[in-house]
Amino acid sequence: MSDKSTSAAASATRAKMVIERTYRARAKELWGLWTTKQGFESWWGPEGFRVEVHALEACVNGALHYDMIADTPAMIEVMKQMGRPSSHKTHGRFSEIRPHERLAITHVIDFLPGVVPYESTIVAEFFPSGDSVRMVVTLDPMHNEEFTKMSTMGFTSQLTKLDKLFGSEKR
Amino acid sequence: MTMLSHTFQTLADPTRRGIVEVLRKGERQVNDIVEQVGIHQSGVSRHLRILHEAGFVTIRPDGQRRLYSLRPEPFRELENWLAQYRGLWEARLDRFGAALEEQRKCRKTPDKEQHS
Repeated sequence: MSDKSTSAAASATRAKMVIERTYRARAKELWGLWTTKQGFESWWGPEGFRVEVHALEACVNGALHYDMIADTPAMIEVMKQMGRPSSHKTHGRFSEIRPHERLAITHVIDFLPGVVPYESTIVAEFFPSGDSVRMVVTLDPMHNEEFTKMSTMGFTSQLTKLDKLFGSEKR
Repeated sequence: MTMLSHTFQTLADPTRRGIVEVLRKGERQVNDIVEQVGIHQSGVSRHLRILHEAGFVTIRPDGQRRLYSLRPEPFRELENWLAQYRGLWEARLDRFGAALEEQRKCRKTPDKEQHS
């Protein structure tokens, strides 16, 4: 379904990363995966985690509250070894909403001991073309949940698990 | 602080990023860098010292002059990290695509006769 010729661009100094995918679907369908509880829970979260949404209000400044839960024995063990709980509450808001066109989610990264809370924004844009939609996700790796996690928890070790996934979907 | 965090922290300063940009064009002495970065020599020297200590810059004596140039190692480290980070998000978007497909299947099943 998706075009795997994903393009990504990053500048080490500006540290903005752009990841693109093209899906054979309508923008409305993609939109639903970002803006509904069921949709969001079906894909969000790093490998080895699932999310349980408690509040999702897809309007400007609407709440996005969910638990990030380690859901594989390996990840639960990693968290245990790190002295961290296997789940943590995550708070954010929809900082921008243009239905079926563009949205921004701003997370408050306030759950890591010893890390000064900060905000991290992810932007998703949708560009329909024929029977497909190009989705462009813009991230700031330097101020991002994953960056903090990887820096503080050795999260990159999980990446090795992804090889199989990449291999299975490449065309 | 991890080595990678130190790398990011070193590059977080805009003046140091400016110096890196100048050195991308090749080996330079302090005066050349001062001219292009536009701050006082003492400031440039301080930032060069930080860049050197962080492994970004190497120094080559040439008579009375000291020539500064970039070392590739920390940039490779950054590149590797960014590739890993990109991998995380690519995996997430793989799941997005799978969820999308699943969603479509569920919607098509009850009324597939009505849609082409």
